[in-house]
Amino acid sequence: MSDLGELDRPGPPAGAAAWDERSQEWLPETTNTEEQPAPVAPPELHEPSAERAPGHTPPPTTTRRTAADPVKALMHRHRELCERAVDPLEIAAGLEAHGVTDRTAARFRHRDVFSLAEEMYARIPRDGDTPTPLAPPEPPGSRAGWALRALLPGTLCTATLAGLHLTHGRARLAVAAVGILAVALAVRAALARGPLSTRRPATHRPGSSTWTYWLLAYALLGDGLLRAALTGGPDSLPDGTPDSPWPLVTTPALALTWACAPAAWSAHLLAARARRKLTASRGLEDFAASVRPLLLGTFTLFLATLAALLAVSGPTLNEPPPYAQTLTLGALLLLARLLTVHGFTHAPVVILRATAAAQATALATVFAARLPGCDALAAPVRTLTTLWGPTTIQTLTCGTGALILLIHATRTLTRASAHAQPERGC
Amino acid sequence: MDNRPSRHRLVRIRSSRCEPPGQRRLPIREIGGALVRIGLLTEGGYPYVSGDAKLWCDRLVRGLDQHEFDIYALSRSEAQEDEGWVPLPPQVNRVITAPLWTAEDDGVVHGRRARRRFTECYGELVAALCAGGPVEAPATEADRFANALYGLAELARDEGGLVGALRSEGAVRALERACRAPGAPRAAREARVPDLLAVAAHLEQALRPLSLDWYEDDGLGAVDLCHATSGGPAALPGLLAHHFAGVPLLVTEYGVRLRTHYLNAAESSPAVRALLTAFHGRLAAETYGRATIVTPGNAHARRWQERCGAHRDKLRTVYPGMDATRFAEVGESPECADPETLVWVGRVEPAKDLVSLLHAFADIRKEEPKTRLRIIGAPSGPEGKAYLGHCRALAAQLFPDEADGPHAVGDNPVSFEEIGGPELPTLADAYAAGAVTVLSSVVEGFPLGLVEAMFCGRATVSTDVGAVVEVIGGTGLVVPPRNPRALAEACVVLLRDPERRARLGAAARARALELFTVEQNITAFHGIYLEIVSRTPVRRVLLDDTGEPLPFAAPAEAHVPGRWTGPTARLVARGGPTWAAGPPVRATTPIPATEGA
Repeated sequence: MSDLGELDRPGPPAGAAAWDERSQEWLPETTNTEEQPAPVAPPELHEPSAERAPGHTPPPTTTRRTAADPVKALMHRHRELCERAVDPLEIAAGLEAHGVTDRTAARFRHRDVFSLAEEMYARIPRDGDTPTPLAPPEPPGSRAGWALRALLPGTLCTATLAGLHLTHGRARLAVAAVGILAVALAVRAALARGPLSTRRPATHRPGSSTWTYWLLAYALLGDGLLRAALTGGPDSLPDGTPDSPWPLVTTPALALTWACAPAAWSAHLLAARARRKLTASRGLEDFAASVRPLLLGTFTLFLATLAALLAVSGPTLNEPPPYAQTLTLGALLLLARLLTVHGFTHAPVVILRATAAAQATALATVFAARLPGCDALAAPVRTLTTLWGPTTIQTLTCGTGALILLIHATRTLTRASAHAQPERGC
Repeated sequence: MDNRPSRHRLVRIRSSRCEPPGQRRLPIREIGGALVRIGLLTEGGYPYVSGDAKLWCDRLVRGLDQHEFDIYALSRSEAQEDEGWVPLPPQVNRVITAPLWTAEDDGVVHGRRARRRFTECYGELVAALCAGGPVEAPATEADRFANALYGLAELARDEGGLVGALRSEGAVRALERACRAPGAPRAAREARVPDLLAVAAHLEQALRPLSLDWYEDDGLGAVDLCHATSGGPAALPGLLAHHFAGVPLLVTEYGVRLRTHYLNAAESSPAVRALLTAFHGRLAAETYGRATIVTPGNAHARRWQERCGAHRDKLRTVYPGMDATRFAEVGESPECADPETLVWVGRVEPAKDLVSLLHAFADIRKEEPKTRLRIIGAPSGPEGKAYLGHCRALAAQLFPDEADGPHAVGDNPVSFEEIGGPELPTLADAYAAGAVTVLSSVVEGFPLGLVEAMFCGRATVSTDVGAVVEVIGGTGLVVPPRNPRALAEACVVLLRDPERRARLGAAARARALELFTVEQNITAFHGIYLEIVSRTPVRRVLLDDTGEPLPFAAPAEAHVPGRWTGPTARLVARGGPTWAAGPPVRATTPIPATEGA
């Protein structure tokens, strides 16, 4: 039963240093121990003082330290405890941890430690100043790690595209397969750690990645397929060249993979700034009002970086940069990831799924219109493409999705609970 | 009583059933005995290997083998779960565990009505926290807290999804409203957003037992009484079982959880501390209020419980029990002690105030120059090591080495030793080494070292801290803490008076054998169990197929030791006729109720 006694231990004062100081104080003070009262004991106890050997002077009843107000001295001794106490019981617990018992309390003319603590609590001077809030600690983990990892997909994508340009035939197919696999793994690695990682693995729902792959595939091949389908094709599988009947658009892939880095940085910026605002704001409304511009600002920053990446990668690959569709897709993916990271997993999955479904429906209607008597099915898509070109479908679907997620994010990501510190073990 | 079936598993619960090894033991029959099915509620304790107070629980469960135990354990950390369980005796029917350190969101999203219900209950709960002091709240506030708590528990039982809701923005908003409400304490009014989030997170953690599916009729609803082995989180399932199924609750506290909370929560901001201490205070008051019997481990815990609202009639002090057999040999031969040796036994740490003891020993040496002091114990932690080093240095400084003659090798009159060496193989040998055992602590809970010395029949001199006076009664000398001179005088008195030493030692041993043995502890709990089942039995109304109450469905025989109706209660002697081992025959066949009957 050696553990039950420990359970009731009031808990000693921490730190050996303080105790060593005190024990140093004992050395000169040993001659002053008569300031302590005579040994108190219940009546049935053997009282050592009663059997003291003759020649000893009985301890004087007056004590050196007892001033007019003994409680004040006690409060001074435990001033830290008193200053931070939020109720009398906290003082009582603290006093007991320092060895104050009911017998000690009796010296202060109190019945027990509780009433002594109550007096001390009532006498704490309350001035108006409140302690300044401490800055939140930086979350653990090195910044260099995720920053480097976020650059990995872009690097691998560039290498793959270079390989595709340099190879032909079978080797080209192999390079493409290996490159796609490598980029996919790199993206996973970039999302596994750092500001884009989900903090609550238990709440992660599978499903969003499937729809993300679909959206990316559509960005690369979808517009070409749609154009070919409207003109009666496609007659062959894509061969990876931009001027074939089913062309492959590689600029979005390059820009989006490089955009992992700005996405990670904007997520980091949002999280860090939001934490700072969290500490500074007094109410939930204040916090929401201050985070909203921050959210929109980081979002715009990401879009600007993505546009710049497109402007660079378009001429590099000798393709016209598809600004509208890539920007909307990038916005959609970033917002979905941000929402997932902050614990809102439902909306991103729904929106991603809806966007992918819309794109698939658009393609399906065009193919279904070839069936006899179903010409009318392709009419909406045909009208849109004749008005604004075949890229409209992607821009419209991704844009709508991104807009809905943006509105959702301005409502949910401005909540304080979205930015709560990740739970630590208890 | 709610008989609705469980529809969801809210928190992942790994439950496992411990089948009794081999044939079921034969029940012990005693006159006046009854079979009590006890739901033992633990938090971070038994049956985990690294649990608090597991030794006590183990002795309790093993000691009461005429009863049945269902163990409901909340684990405190993943490491604790990985370490596994202690071996369980056959009277443990089943062990159901739930992690308190992690909660899976069950993915349930509340509908509009459930959301409103949650906001209402949670708002009431936090409003009750922000009104009045932590413990001295008016009865209406305590009632409000309890109603809100049970409201949340009912919501969790009906709808699930409490984990997500407690983390949601709605919960934080409710907290903010309560903190800004007029009449809220000053510290709560100054709560900032991080404070609100911290409080919400802590409340979510503290309220996790609400989401467990333990309160169904086949869980805690089926036991005769709940025995919470500590206050706080362990008692919360007991409270809910009392609320849902009317199961009486027994709370044992060897250390007051509320005080532990006060001492541990020192780092948080004032607002967080104010709200959380209010929560734990209200929860403790509600626990003490609903419990049928509360058993503190000593008078000190008892005072805290009384202070937190436990009614005096409910409190029964049950002292912790210790194994006395280890000390029997030493205790029965008091003459083997060295009459000029003082012994201090314990773990070396600053709270033990060995410095004061060394100064007292310097005074003793002035009166009795031949006395020796043996300080026996290992340091605890790095702090203890530093303190031990300091004490060694002080001892070397105060007492020079001494030798018997000019040609002998001397040594220091103060020796620092550890148990387990060739000189002191066991704890009992440590106490046997000296005529007087000294305790010089400045802070102490229940002084187990003192009890061990009492078992060994040694005269003791102790400081007046913690439960020392209560434990020692009149069988030893007590001096004020931090008073080396008084300590020295008391020791000198005992060293000079061997007869008094013997008298005190014998009295101490008799007192310890009366009050602090394992048997005493187990018998006390056995009596309390029987008292609870006899005074406040669970009134279970069983319903038949048509929903009508079934009279006499739970007959009195259900509490007779042994199973009379179950298939495991075949009391056939070994070698008995084989036909007797067949399935049990009902004494009376159930007769379908007819109109004429």
